[in-house]
Amino acid sequence: MLKPKLISQVLQQATTGGVKATILLNPEGSLLAFAAQSDRDARIYGAIASNIWTIYSKHCKPEVGPLSFLMLECEEGKVAITVVSTMILCLVARDDVELGILKAKCEALTRHLEEPLSRVAGY
Amino acid sequence: MKKKVLLMGKSGSGKTSMRSIIFSNYIARDTRRLGATIDVEHSHVRFLGNLVLNLWDCGGQEAFMENYFASQRDHIFKNVEVLIYVFDVESRDVEKDMHYYQSCLEAIMTNSKDAKIFCLIHKMDLVQEDQRDKIYNERVQELQTRSLPLQVIPFRTSIWDETLYKAWSSIVYSLIPNVQLLESHLDNFCKICEADEIVLFERMTFLVIAHSTRVDNGDVHRFEKISNIIKQFKLSCSRTQGSFQSMEVRHSNFAGFIDYLTGNTYVMVIMSDPTIQSAATLMNISIARKHFEKLEGAQFSK
Repeated sequence: MLKPKLISQVLQQATTGGVKATILLNPEGSLLAFAAQSDRDARIYGAIASNIWTIYSKHCKPEVGPLSFLMLECEEGKVAITVVSTMILCLVARDDVELGILKAKCEALTRHLEEPLSRVAGY
Repeated sequence: MKKKVLLMGKSGSGKTSMRSIIFSNYIARDTRRLGATIDVEHSHVRFLGNLVLNLWDCGGQEAFMENYFASQRDHIFKNVEVLIYVFDVESRDVEKDMHYYQSCLEAIMTNSKDAKIFCLIHKMDLVQEDQRDKIYNERVQELQTRSLPLQVIPFRTSIWDETLYKAWSSIVYSLIPNVQLLESHLDNFCKICEADEIVLFERMTFLVIAHSTRVDNGDVHRFEKISNIIKQFKLSCSRTQGSFQSMEVRHSNFAGFIDYLTGNTYVMVIMSDPTIQSAATLMNISIARKHFEKLEGAQFSK
């Protein structure tokens, strides 16, 4: 089972140095946990991110393999989306944050959450 | 696993009515249609999968009563797990009720001495509100002295409010084998998903089987109220050809989830931490599902 508060704490640790929000979504795109300034922000970011992720992964050709990472440079910031076990992880950062550090944060979170999340993913 | 439950009491005291409400999806108003029970009506109620309540609804007219104590004595009073004796609070002839009740106890003592005895003081809604406590306490006092050396568990009931569910929940609770195990697993579930309270209901009757509470709630009658409300909601769902599956109630500082858990149970999870997302709780419920199914399987196969 998931301890919702613990997951939020882990996400909180990545929400530093220009990262505005760290969000974990289930495969359907519902919020599982997040660390962000406000509820509202997290909901909006989450909805957009899961939408983008689903559309991209739908259009991935089978010979290319499944989608593993998305980096987006937007007008007011940068976004990284990836998949941890079956859940979607999304980081939203200010535009002065470099893509490299964003990717590194994503990977660190993935390493940390992969094993516990894969245990609950089968349900 | 079969458990014999005797339902007895004077004619017209409301035995069949309460049975119909709890086990046959009647609403209180519909019980007016019920006629007098002739002799004994047997019904088998499958409860929690393998536990079958063998309910003997014994008609209460005097001719039948005499018959139970005379010619059918062994047949009726053998192997009883639970005796439920219903008293009509408005009954004029208290002496006679007591006489039958005591004959019944004698028969139980000789034939199944380990039976648990529940006394329901029924139709409490007919008593004026300010009188209820007083009258009920008097009746209970009298019952307890008259039942000695047997111990009875008294309840006040009415089909028009949740008291009926309270009484029946306690009755079925006493019949479930190894309920402590179930409770300890529920406690664990509650702790892990950081819920205030988790309540387990039986699927058909919506009676409370077990609960785990981490944050106290002021209302001691909340379980019965919920049983009552959800049961009625379920019935209105079925009237529109739909079947009740799950429900989520949320406002700014509270969230409640009612969802099926195993083939025989529903679970209610109450969360008061608004930062915990619905999806996380729903996922925890679905993870718990497998665990509790296994537990239930093991519990009843023994």
